[in-house]
Amino acid sequence: MINKFGMRTQIIVLFLIVSIGGLVILNYVFQAKQKDIQSALQDMELTNELREIRLYSEEDSLKAEALMRDFNAAKAVMNIALNDSQVVTSVVLLLVIVLSSTVFIVVIFRLSKPLRDLKHATEQIREGNFSVHLPETGLPEMRELKSSFNMMSRELEETQTRLLVAEKELIWKDLSRILAHEIKNPLTPIQLAIQRLEERLETNPDTIKEILPESVSIITQEIENLRLLAQDFSNYAKVNQPNTEVINPALTIREIVKSYCQDYEIKLDLTENLQIKFDKTHFYQVLTNIIQNAIDASESGEPIDIRLFGEKSFVVLCIEDHGSGIDKKDLPRIFEPYFSKKTKGTGLGLALVKKLCEANGAIVRVKSEVNKGTEFTVIFEGV
Amino acid sequence: MFEALGSRVMTGVVSLAMLLFSSFEGNDPKMTNLRYRNSDSFLYVSGVLENAFDNDFSTIFASGTPISVIYEMDVRQGTMALAKNTFRHTVNYNPATGIYDLKKDGRGEIYHSESVQDILSQLSHFEFGIPYQSSWKKVQIRIEARLPKVHFNTANKEVDLMLLWKYKKPSAKINADLRKPE
Repeated sequence: MINKFGMRTQIIVLFLIVSIGGLVILNYVFQAKQKDIQSALQDMELTNELREIRLYSEEDSLKAEALMRDFNAAKAVMNIALNDSQVVTSVVLLLVIVLSSTVFIVVIFRLSKPLRDLKHATEQIREGNFSVHLPETGLPEMRELKSSFNMMSRELEETQTRLLVAEKELIWKDLSRILAHEIKNPLTPIQLAIQRLEERLETNPDTIKEILPESVSIITQEIENLRLLAQDFSNYAKVNQPNTEVINPALTIREIVKSYCQDYEIKLDLTENLQIKFDKTHFYQVLTNIIQNAIDASESGEPIDIRLFGEKSFVVLCIEDHGSGIDKKDLPRIFEPYFSKKTKGTGLGLALVKKLCEANGAIVRVKSEVNKGTEFTVIFEGV
Repeated sequence: MFEALGSRVMTGVVSLAMLLFSSFEGNDPKMTNLRYRNSDSFLYVSGVLENAFDNDFSTIFASGTPISVIYEMDVRQGTMALAKNTFRHTVNYNPATGIYDLKKDGRGEIYHSESVQDILSQLSHFEFGIPYQSSWKKVQIRIEARLPKVHFNTANKEVDLMLLWKYKKPSAKINADLRKPE
């Protein structure tokens, strides 16, 4: 039970129990003893006996009267003094408890402040803010601790900067390699087509018309491939803030799939009347990228299954192909930008899918088995 | 003002401390039944001081030292002070005879009794009279009781008897319309 509370609370409770409890017990014993003395004092009575003595002689009577007065005055003064000591003790005890508790709590708060600061600083580091530094003040041990912490945060900051630079370099290298490769691929057939046209023009210009349509077709096709490549990069770079709206995923899926159904066997099993909040353009991009991936992985005639159903408060979309599947070691990397095992493609399609899903608050998962197929699952929050 | 505030704070602290940590019973005096009556030229105020002498006072009276209860009467009309009078009820005990004398200011009465209970009962009731001016109309009468510091000659010790009232001064107010006789 006590573990629920912080160290500071535990120390304060311990202080209150041990220190104040001890004082209260001590006061209780003191008061009880005072009461005993007072009670014994009350029982002391000699007035009646002395009053009888006065009858025998006037001198004795006067002495007895003086004695009675002295005794009774002493008794009254002692009685008041005992009462006074009880009151004073209780007032002093109350003041001691209030003052000592206040001082103790203030000291505990001041002592624990550097620890709280350290905790907040650690939380900031955890959130990625390595520039946090603590003022090196307070007790020597605390100064040492803060100094060590500051040193650690400085080192972390430097390491982070170095890592960022290295990462940027790596990304640029990767990007340059992919771009070079992807641009080189269409350039080769273009170059070959132009060379063939040049050769024919030099050797037999009259028959150039025979190869012209094919060469132009190759050049046009490859230019189109280059345009698509540029579009892929542009799409990936341009994921804007989603413009979310309530959409009916079953209806949208049917619209998108319509253009694929003429060439590919796509089986739909969709629960109607489900609703999700998603950017419609993003939804289109997510679905077409996954379907294109499934088409690329499948042999001609192999079906692609698309299922949509509700699961508690969520809407689940599964797109399953029965194609080549993905190697187990490649699965963790398939959503990384520029990672691709296909001969054609930039490796940006699935990275874009993940980015769009995250931007719209959805989750994308994949499971795959080589030669059996791949299943992509997108989980949306239902409306 | 600060004195009154300080006195209230002190009374509060003492009361709380005694409630929490002390076995001292003391007395909790309360002024009740405050009434007034007026004749053509005198204004009389009477009342009862309850629970004021239940504990410890019999021992204090038995010391033979004269013990007084002081009443302060304050008459105001609005914010204007019209009169301020102090009255004493004094108990004197003679150990040789075993007789208590109670002298009451205000009406000038003197009581004698061997019974401390009779004396305490008489001491609890008070009535004071003061002359009043015909210009007094609607007035507020306030009476506050307190105990003095007493020097016990034989023990050569001075004690503050307010301790026995836990430093609380019982008081009461009453509004009087002197235009019509009560």
